[in-house]
Amino acid sequence: MALSAPYVTNYLTQHFADDAFGQVDGYVARGGYEAARKAITRMAPDEVANLVKDAGLQGRGGAGFVAGLKWTFMPKGADKPKYLVCNADESEPGSFKDRILMERGPHQLLEGILIAAWATGAEKTFLYIRGEYAFAAQQLERAIGEAYSRGYLGSRVMGTALSHDVVLVRGAGAYICGEETGLLESLEGKKGQPRKKPPFPAQYGAFGMPTTVNNVETFSHVPHIIRNGKEWFRSLGTEKSPGTTIFGVSGHVVRPGLYELPLGTKLDEIVFEHAGGVPDGKRVKGVIPGGMSMPILPAGQLDVPMANEFLRERKSMLGTGGIMVMDETTCMVRVGCVISYFFRDESCGQCTQCREGTGWMNKILNRIERGAGTREDLDVLLDVAGKLEGATICAFSDAAAWPVQGLLRHFREDFEAHVREQKCPFPASFEL
Amino acid sequence: MANVTIDGVAYEVQDGRTILQALDDLGLLMNGVDVPHYCWHPKLSIDGSCRLCQVEVKGQPKLQIACNTVVANGMEITTANERVQKAREGVMELLLVNHPLDCPICDQAGECKLQDYAYEYGLTHARTKEPRRPLAKRAELGPTILLDQERCILCRRCVRFTREISKTSELCVASRGDRSTIETFPGAPLDNDYSMNVADICPVGALTTKDFRFKIRVWFLDEKPGVCTGCANGCNIHLGVANNQVYRYVPRRNDAVNDTWMCDEGRMSHKRIGAADRVREPMLRSAGGGLASAKLDAAIAAAAAKLRAATSGGAGVVAALGSAHATNEDLFVLRRFCEALGTETLGVAVPSGRADELLIKAEKAANAAGARALGFKDAQVVADRLRAGAVRALIVLGDDALAVLGGEAALAKLECVILLATHHSPLERAAHVVFPARVAAEKLGTLTNHAGRVQRVRPAVEPAFEAYAEGEILARLGQALGLPGFAPGQRYDARDVSKLLGEAVPAFAGCDVDAVGDEGRPLAGAGAR
Repeated sequence: MALSAPYVTNYLTQHFADDAFGQVDGYVARGGYEAARKAITRMAPDEVANLVKDAGLQGRGGAGFVAGLKWTFMPKGADKPKYLVCNADESEPGSFKDRILMERGPHQLLEGILIAAWATGAEKTFLYIRGEYAFAAQQLERAIGEAYSRGYLGSRVMGTALSHDVVLVRGAGAYICGEETGLLESLEGKKGQPRKKPPFPAQYGAFGMPTTVNNVETFSHVPHIIRNGKEWFRSLGTEKSPGTTIFGVSGHVVRPGLYELPLGTKLDEIVFEHAGGVPDGKRVKGVIPGGMSMPILPAGQLDVPMANEFLRERKSMLGTGGIMVMDETTCMVRVGCVISYFFRDESCGQCTQCREGTGWMNKILNRIERGAGTREDLDVLLDVAGKLEGATICAFSDAAAWPVQGLLRHFREDFEAHVREQKCPFPASFEL
Repeated sequence: MANVTIDGVAYEVQDGRTILQALDDLGLLMNGVDVPHYCWHPKLSIDGSCRLCQVEVKGQPKLQIACNTVVANGMEITTANERVQKAREGVMELLLVNHPLDCPICDQAGECKLQDYAYEYGLTHARTKEPRRPLAKRAELGPTILLDQERCILCRRCVRFTREISKTSELCVASRGDRSTIETFPGAPLDNDYSMNVADICPVGALTTKDFRFKIRVWFLDEKPGVCTGCANGCNIHLGVANNQVYRYVPRRNDAVNDTWMCDEGRMSHKRIGAADRVREPMLRSAGGGLASAKLDAAIAAAAAKLRAATSGGAGVVAALGSAHATNEDLFVLRRFCEALGTETLGVAVPSGRADELLIKAEKAANAAGARALGFKDAQVVADRLRAGAVRALIVLGDDALAVLGGEAALAKLECVILLATHHSPLERAAHVVFPARVAAEKLGTLTNHAGRVQRVRPAVEPAFEAYAEGEILARLGQALGLPGFAPGQRYDARDVSKLLGEAVPAFAGCDVDAVGDEGRPLAGAGAR
């Protein structure tokens, strides 16, 4: 049985119901580690990187940068040790796909890492997993042990010239440690604060060494691309966004959960067909398409294919594919309060705009929700959000600004109602 | 080298420098080209967090931070246009979201970068209606520094200073987001030899020194360039003067000497200027054995008479001990004086203490190297002559030489001990005549630091009592004695002496008070350390 047959459109998760898939024997029995063997023994590192690049695999951590291209930024030669980092800090609210990939398919991830190690010349991978993912960490630890004992990790992997170590590092629970340089700082035992760029991680990464950071899902796609080729990969998804991804659907839906679907699947199809739509006969009000930092879309705009090239036209992005559905009873000001509180709480505090702006936006939103807002506040909110956009060391401040902009773009009426009535017109569903 | 244009003007700048560094190298930063900044400091690592120094770089869609953008050949940089102004306004508005509006009671007011840039680039009104975050107003970080956490803008200069310069790492940013505060670690206060520098580099009123806090409004201070005299390093400083009183020393940037730093001990040495134990008048040994105050002319006459008597039997019975605190000019006059008297026993006492690898030198006086360059030998030569009984008259400059001379007993039998001192000391018990001397902050002259750099001091304050440069006292004494080279009636002028020194002593060629400027110059033949 092949790990992923060409016709399969859920190749990442197709065996996840099968406990054996998480064990090395079960994984190998389903064709596991054959892609790594093929890459290491029959392909040159550049060839691997180019194949993944040409397949068009976009990073699945949120930014969507072409993974194979990122690999080629690593310096050639061996004057310094080179590292990979697997970003398993999955901290975007609404996103829970990496967790299942680690819990149910740890060897698929390790195989992807091995192939990337071959392509980039990295001698070691730091697998940085968020502290709350205790079970996933346990599964990975076991899988790493199995891989070492079977010669898939360590020196002379599968008898080839490649040696590779994987070190599991558990984070301590900060959103910003999912930002790649914040992660590197935390990995080094420092406070999780993103680094100014340049230098970029490919020049100066973990412990000062050339480093490539990729997301769990990104690595997990790689064995399938090696096995089935770039044409196969490109036959799934859209022209610009090939492959599948795992959408995590949460909120007001009948069947919340994870859905592996080709990129470009329409948002309304995911919400209404796969996730069963809104319960209790209510109507949908808005949907956040890609994790909390992505701008919300109103009910009328859900006919959008879930891929960046289409979502951008609607001023949003795919992010991590975490879809959060809100029904008609939802107060969008309250949503703004919750989101802005999160970003205020999680801002590392280095950059002026982010440190002060996240707090300011949160205070204004709270005041509007309390019924003490003014029309001017709405303009100030947008203005502050604008000051945060693209102005700081990392993209956190964008992530804090976009949701506020999205809410005001599509649900300004909710805000104006609060200002007009000097109270929240929605039934209070939870305390702020 | 890279050719860049900044606001349309072409410059050649060093490769690998960032835009702010290049502007600093050119001497243009905030001095022709205004790129406001908080976290960037020329002597600290680049932080890139305050985001105020954004400039436009042609071809880049976003504004770039000048502190971390490396210059490239052909780069076109615009530091002032509407877009840049808007960005600065935005940063300034956000910095003020939580900053208290307590300028009227803030010690930094008047030299506050937040104030300055808010006037320059800020909005005219506050749009925030939210209460500001309440934090500690008087956190004691250590024995020298207080922190007002509410005023802090988290530029982290102080944190980097303790990590990179003092290498003591006492400070950190605790918590995150808008709850971030500068803190020390439990049980480890900010306590190092350079701790007070953090108050200098703090761009706002968050860090203040206990010493200067609330002493005076800074706009009353006249910041006069000078040199710290605490040790042989000769850190360049500004003396903060008002009401003819020195309120503080702050380091003055000199990349060849002290960068932008000074040690706490040196900084606190300003207290020596107005100290209660200054010698405030000439004194004469009375018949009863005690020292009694005297008019200068009487003291000069008495000293001249004593010296004349002691040397009546012939030359060679006079010894002189110079002070490593005195200026090159004072010591040059002493040397001339001794030459005229025919004495060859010229020593200098140099107090010593702890040294480190940053600034603090073991020689605890500002001009030991100058004394040596002028031919002064170790104080031991004087002590040896005393012990041999070959000395009848001794001229001593300074107040810290008793031990090296062999204690009071060694001086007891001398016919004539003339003391020129800034501060009272046990040496007075052996002195027949005591003259009040000026400290460096009270006179014009030069000091030669450990590396042979000649640096200028100028009168920053006028002593409120009678005191004279040692050179002037010796010149008058020379005139009273009718010594060759000490023309009667000639007014003492330190500037003339300085020129004469440059002509007479080859090492000091080109190093007179005017030629050295405020930055100093190496002695001829001194290494360019």
